[in-house]
Amino acid sequence: MGLQPYLILAAVLFCIGLFGVLTRRNAIGILLGIELMLNAVNVNLVAIARYAADPAGLVFTLFTISITVAEVAVGLAIVILIFRVRRTVEADHLNLLKG
Amino acid sequence: MIDAGTLALAALGLPFGAFVLLAVVAPLRRAGRAAGALSVAAVGGSLLAALILWRTFPEAGADTVELAWSWLPAEGGALATVGVLVDSVAAVMLVLVALVSFLVQLYSLGYLEDETAPALGRYFAYHSLFAFSMIGLVLASNFLQMFIFWELVGLCSYLLIGFWYAKPEAARAAVKAFWVTKAGDLGFILGIVLLWAQAGTFGFSELFKMADDKTLPLGGLSLIMFLIYLGAVGKSAQFPLHVWLPDAMEGPTPVSALIHAATMVAAGVYLVTRAYPLFLQTPDVLVLIGWVGAFSALLAATLGLVQADIKRVLAYSTVSQLGYMMAALGAGAVGAGFFHLLTHGLFKALLFLGAGAVIHAVGTNDIWKMGRLFGAMPQTGIVFLVGTLALAGIWPFAGFFSKDAILAGVWEGGLTVPFLMLALTVFLTAFYMFRVVFVVFFATGHAEGHPHDPPLVMGGPLWTLAGLTAGVGILFAVGGGGEEAHGPSWISPLSLGLALAGIAFAWLTYQRRAVSAEMLARRVRPLYVAALRKFWLDDLYGGIYRGVILGLSWVVGWVDRYLVDGLVNLASAWTMRGGDRLRRIQTGRAQDYLYGVAFGLLLVIVWSYWH
Amino acid sequence: MSLEAAAFWGLALVLLASGLAVVLSKNLFHSVLYLALALVATAGLFLLLQAEFLAAVQILLYAGGVITIVVFAIVVTERLVGERLVQTNRGIVNGGLVSLAVLIAIIIFVTRATLPQTPPPPPADLTQAIGRDLLTRFVLPFELLAVLFLAALLGALFFARKEE
Repeated sequence: MGLQPYLILAAVLFCIGLFGVLTRRNAIGILLGIELMLNAVNVNLVAIARYAADPAGLVFTLFTISITVAEVAVGLAIVILIFRVRRTVEADHLNLLKG
Repeated sequence: MIDAGTLALAALGLPFGAFVLLAVVAPLRRAGRAAGALSVAAVGGSLLAALILWRTFPEAGADTVELAWSWLPAEGGALATVGVLVDSVAAVMLVLVALVSFLVQLYSLGYLEDETAPALGRYFAYHSLFAFSMIGLVLASNFLQMFIFWELVGLCSYLLIGFWYAKPEAARAAVKAFWVTKAGDLGFILGIVLLWAQAGTFGFSELFKMADDKTLPLGGLSLIMFLIYLGAVGKSAQFPLHVWLPDAMEGPTPVSALIHAATMVAAGVYLVTRAYPLFLQTPDVLVLIGWVGAFSALLAATLGLVQADIKRVLAYSTVSQLGYMMAALGAGAVGAGFFHLLTHGLFKALLFLGAGAVIHAVGTNDIWKMGRLFGAMPQTGIVFLVGTLALAGIWPFAGFFSKDAILAGVWEGGLTVPFLMLALTVFLTAFYMFRVVFVVFFATGHAEGHPHDPPLVMGGPLWTLAGLTAGVGILFAVGGGGEEAHGPSWISPLSLGLALAGIAFAWLTYQRRAVSAEMLARRVRPLYVAALRKFWLDDLYGGIYRGVILGLSWVVGWVDRYLVDGLVNLASAWTMRGGDRLRRIQTGRAQDYLYGVAFGLLLVIVWSYWH
Repeated sequence: MSLEAAAFWGLALVLLASGLAVVLSKNLFHSVLYLALALVATAGLFLLLQAEFLAAVQILLYAGGVITIVVFAIVVTERLVGERLVQTNRGIVNGGLVSLAVLIAIIIFVTRATLPQTPPPPPADLTQAIGRDLLTRFVLPFELLAVLFLAALLGALFFARKEE
């Protein structure tokens, strides 16, 4: 088993996540896509750490997982807040940044 | 004994010093009469220097004295020099300029006594500048220096015509004088530069030497001399650029006497005299000068017939007399032309100052509002009569000899038709001048107020000029004929007869009323109307101005409004529309921005393929 | 095919399938469950790569923490809106094309690189190594992480508080 299959698997997973983020209408769905993408990154980090015999990658993974949890917590708080104010979590309707 | 160069520099420097003092020291300028006293003292010093120079000059050694300092340094020697060039012509001209400047400034002290002190100070500052510039012009040793002083006197003329700048006519006349003379000056400077390109020097002495040695390149010289002559046409108010001089009468009368009669307008004649060795190389230009001069003389004389403004009559007479000088120069009688310049400078300044005294006393320029003034102001009447007789060319006054010399010179020069024009002008000159004399001083009519002779400060210059006018003539009458009067013997009786006929005709028309002026006008109605309308020249220039300048402005305006503005508007419209289009990519949806991130990622990856 | 390879392909299959289900499922709740499956499969991959500690963290934090929060959020929002949250995709073609392009680019990039074919011999105790590194080489980011957590905690509280 080489490193390449892991990287390609991670790439595929990343792109599935990207697809989800790009296409989901629901803010929670977008968050789920982001989780997938981060997960793919974690796979990469762990695989490379293993093949390079350097535990730094593992530490990074630990960080990303922790940060992801924090991100999900804040993100969902925002989602709920938006929901309260605007009665929707449709990303299409969240266009206050429109120029 | 002080040498000639130092005297010339002193004559030049004194008015300049006065001008600088008046310009820089504001309290002195605002003091008014003190400023006038300074200016008069400075130009009096100039007069003294000029007189000493003139009296001692022929004995001072060589017949020309030149001082030169290099100026405009360039590779291979200075490009131009500054200096003074004194010869017999310049010395005499210097005396005339300094004398008339001095007398006119003295006269101004009385004439402008009603002005406020700051205005008076300004007036004398301009006068000092003028005296400096005019003396500089006379003494200039090269074309470039002459041009600079030439423009300076033009500037002074502008400033002094517009002295009463609050008066719209004065302001307009000042601008008109400036523009019309500038039209000629354009030719002048082009000529100077072309001459320099041909000959490689601006200096008079070098150029005359080249002309003498026949080393002056003749190719294009006719054009060059014609262009230089154009400057003289503008300055000396020759046809067709004479239109500014009558309007210049809006300035104070002493200014008219000094600048627009005796000195500055004669600068054109002086220029041609000065550059005469060069003009001799181009006989065709000389013939043109003769014809234009004679035509200007006749045209201005006819115009002078119909004017009601005493100063305008004198202005047209000035144009006419300048035409005489130019005609003489064109015919080759350079001495006669210059002689007439000097005598004319004296008696025309006298006439203007006399007219100024009359205007000062009566408060109007209109001759029809004057009358029987001889009884009220006999002194003025006498000096004005002296000037008029001199201008008409009556023996033994100065004008007789110079005019006689010109007529002889033109006849000898073979310019028959110009000679006939000038002879006719003799008659007309006598007629229109005595028309003024009779109407103003003798004929019935009444002037408002109680006119009286001017105070001594004005009367003194008048009597001085009158004495000179008569004295020079008597000098020639006693001394025998004058230097240039060597034409056919019938010329003197002819010119005298024509002048007397003009006087008699004026007497019949305006004093005895035996001939009706209205009837005369009806007889020659087209000419009368044409003269009243100044031969439509002003209208023509106005039309050209409107047609060309305003047309051009319109075109430029159109280009600016539609092409330039259009481009700007187009650019701004495109920018706005582009901004409007680009605005739409800011959808406000986070996912659309993520597309941008994805594209960025793609770019980074693709870019990394090459690294 | 070795046991390791068989395990890898099996996990990969589960991972990709559940990933696709996450982004395509119409039911948001199902999506979350599929995400949990994907995360567990990832934990399996970690085990395969001999990172047991991380596999445990993955399951505890992700499958435990994250999924719980998301489910909780779904329940809250559904209760607020009073109806089932269905979710659909939009711009599938554009999103698919862009994602596919990124995928192809990454794959080309990966295949052109020279990568190790066999893993080095596994170290004695990876968990111990992580612990040592965390408190020596990476102590500063570790502390900063604590600050970040505090900020996230306060932020979440701030957002979720009742309007007074």
